[in-house]
Amino acid sequence: MSVELIGLLGLIALFILLGLRIPVAFAMFAVGFTGVSILNSPQAALSQLASDSFSLAAKIELVVVPLFILMGNVATETGMSRKLYDAAYAWIGSIRGGLASATVVACGGFAALSGSSVASALTIGRVSLSEMKRFDYDDRLSTGVVAAGGTLGILIPPSTGFVIYALLTQESIGRLFLAGVLPGLLLLSMFILTIMVITWIKPSMGPKGPQTTFSEKMRSTTGAAPILLVIVLTIGGIYTGIFSPVEASAVGAGLVILFGILMGKLNFKKFWKAAQDSVVTTATVMLILISAYMIKTFLALSHIPAWLGTYLESLAIPVLGVLAIMLAIYLILGCFLEGFAMMVLSMPIFFPVVQQLGIDPIWFGVLVVLTLEMGLISPPVGLNVFIVKSVAPDVSLGKMFRGVAPFWFAMLATLALLVAFPQIALILPDTMIN
Amino acid sequence: APGMSETVKFAHWVPPAHTLTKSTIEPLQAAVEGSGLEIEVYPGGELGAGPLEQYVRVVQGVADIVWGLQGYTSSQFPLTMVSELPGAKPDDMTGYDMIWSAYDEGLLDGEFPGTKPLALWLSEPNVFIMKDVDVRTPADLEGLKIRVSGSAAASAVESLGATPVQMPAGEIYNSLQTGLIDGVITGASAIGDFKLDEVANSYTLNAPLGHISFYVVMNQAKYDSLPDDQKAAIDSIAGRELSKSAEEGWYARANSVIEEISAMDDNTVYTLTDEERAAFEELTYPIRDNVVAEVGGEEVLATMRGE
Amino acid sequence: MFARIKNWADWLISLSALIGTIGLVAEVAVILIDVIGRFFGSPLSGAQDLAQMGMVLIVFGGMALCDKIGGHVNVDLFEGTMPRWMIWAGDFVSALIGAAIFIGIAWTTWQSIYLMRFQMGIVQTTNIIDLQFDWFKAAIVVMSAITAFAMILRAIGLILTGDNGQESRGHA
Ligand code: NA
Ligand code: NA
Repeated sequence: MSVELIGLLGLIALFILLGLRIPVAFAMFAVGFTGVSILNSPQAALSQLASDSFSLAAKIELVVVPLFILMGNVATETGMSRKLYDAAYAWIGSIRGGLASATVVACGGFAALSGSSVASALTIGRVSLSEMKRFDYDDRLSTGVVAAGGTLGILIPPSTGFVIYALLTQESIGRLFLAGVLPGLLLLSMFILTIMVITWIKPSMGPKGPQTTFSEKMRSTTGAAPILLVIVLTIGGIYTGIFSPVEASAVGAGLVILFGILMGKLNFKKFWKAAQDSVVTTATVMLILISAYMIKTFLALSHIPAWLGTYLESLAIPVLGVLAIMLAIYLILGCFLEGFAMMVLSMPIFFPVVQQLGIDPIWFGVLVVLTLEMGLISPPVGLNVFIVKSVAPDVSLGKMFRGVAPFWFAMLATLALLVAFPQIALILPDTMIN
Repeated sequence: APGMSETVKFAHWVPPAHTLTKSTIEPLQAAVEGSGLEIEVYPGGELGAGPLEQYVRVVQGVADIVWGLQGYTSSQFPLTMVSELPGAKPDDMTGYDMIWSAYDEGLLDGEFPGTKPLALWLSEPNVFIMKDVDVRTPADLEGLKIRVSGSAAASAVESLGATPVQMPAGEIYNSLQTGLIDGVITGASAIGDFKLDEVANSYTLNAPLGHISFYVVMNQAKYDSLPDDQKAAIDSIAGRELSKSAEEGWYARANSVIEEISAMDDNTVYTLTDEERAAFEELTYPIRDNVVAEVGGEEVLATMRGE
Repeated sequence: MFARIKNWADWLISLSALIGTIGLVAEVAVILIDVIGRFFGSPLSGAQDLAQMGMVLIVFGGMALCDKIGGHVNVDLFEGTMPRWMIWAGDFVSALIGAAIFIGIAWTTWQSIYLMRFQMGIVQTTNIIDLQFDWFKAAIVVMSAITAFAMILRAIGLILTGDNGQESRGHA
């Protein structure tokens, strides 16, 4: 049996295990472990289990996972999230789906500080889902918005996705960051447009709230002042170089704890509950990330990416056709892999093809990052959706995938626009960096 | 005649375009070609995430050969890392000769258990990579925040009056951009590897800041299990020869990066005169002596320097 | 007898989660002290060492509790169309796979400690303040063993009573 066939069978086995309700992380471990045992050796698979567990758990960049979850949990326990959504409701609640749009904007804002889709989806999800429920928003819309909105984290700079792409391809990080700005804003607008269309067709998905007076608006804004201050201080601290985006997660958590205590809204019992809940969610998320690494190694050993690369080179079709196939491959791989793992695995193989075809590498980077994110929210295996599920255990995955579908099509439309008009990505880097 | 064909896995965590490929992996592959031994490369952490567990990986057999930096787990390599210290390497010696001189005397055996070192070498000298600060004297560093990776480097930075800041390599770019740090001390090749030239603008060379040491090691049991002609093929390059190729590759990369950044108008690239360098030596050499005494590395250092 | 063992397991699960939670609180404190200290020119020495090793406790501390309260994400797309026995079988297989994974993590992590430390005499530590990896790897061993133990008990419980014994997570 060829190694590629073993790889393919492994992926089919993964689908079956998932269909049988085996937890995502367990299924990926089981398939990855078995695959590595066959293609390398059982001893290698066992050792990898240990070394990946330790090195990923000790990876400093992933500190944002528990700390941003803690920030979201404390903000929720102390009612700060509620105050924030009261304010948003007062300002734009009278528009259909207004809170959902506000959440997408919040995702975009959070993206601008965290650089990570996982962190965006987790934090905004923790803060916003129960709030949108309180205002009678449909679970499908609210979870869809958060899962999709989280993907802005990797498009709007700073983006860890672009950094990885740049280091793998030797492209300029600065140019890639600039190239992500307009597509990020375009995608954000497309998401809002999608919300407007959904709630126009079916108003009960995001019902209209009452009109509010100006003084009501101001009163609710004052109520949200502490959490708004946390946001301003956190973003401000990053951009003035006082702390890094990773450290911002501790600063954000520390500030909401401090304000919670000062306002008398946070006692020890509430705090402990929020902290313990964060530890549990961290376990869920990190186990998925560790298991995704096991799958990555399995795929690398199966030589499937290399085989795909050879196949692409052999195609005698126009550049756009090759590009379309490459993006389709990313969509499919996105089912199984976490975004960075996928980039590391594929870029060494695809990038030479891209260069050979004369495709603009910066433009390609933006397309790849966007496509990766689509893979992360597409059914049946979408890591971003699983991550949102970890903070919304009561909403079924089926509902989430249905909710995320319209946003997936919005991303597809954005992708089409970017393919048709490369200038959207390239105009900023071309004009601002000679 | 070539024996049975055998594949060994070489794992590292940098992109395939990294200097490592041309300077080290390809010569190794070329040397064993025809012996029936194939070296299959898994770049970018495909066989496991990040540098921390790299040595454990090769010992436990996740990979057969790995590349790594001693500095990521310094406690395992106190004696090898003496070679990194400021002022350890005499100008007329190469880094790999130093390390292999000590290795061949059996002085470093305790630091590479379970493996056969194929290459051990030093990077090009560390330099100051700064944003908006021209470093000419130690006083220019007063109160600045400088990114470091190890404790010896941290002491050196402190001795120069600056504040050492720890952060993962991938965060250096952003941190220089926002001003979280004022500079980095590392080899010039990192300027290219991490695109630091986009955010830094002042570089100072010829400061006594030491080097970075690297290893390529092979699982000993795997090596022992190979047929004799394949062992011989590996032995034909393992040791000083492969290390020389690696070290020269690093220097060549550094030189081309320095040439590149020197050609850009918005950069200042300055080489300290020997008098200017002396002012730094006064502060960093005592660090070397402290560390050597701490780890009991007097004999190792003397052997490395051929004294 | 089974109930008594289960009580012990619950106690161990709580202990593990307690360590993880304390780790999280310490993590916030360490990074904040470092950031504030750095602002005034004297950062916390070894803050990254502490943050990295603290993460190990946070990540693995919550594993057992996460499993106990059914916190792992699964694909429930076809749950409605499945017969009861199939759901039972899925729960049972999940508990077994989970137990195997965590036994694997515990065993191989112990192996790596044993090999490096006791056979080869290598003690790996963090770079700035020399925290020994082995202590944190030992925490992974113990916490993973507790998680595996709880999963085995769940599998037994599924055979004895047919009940998966997981608490529903509910909204916080
Ligand atoms: Na971002
Ligand atoms: Na997907």
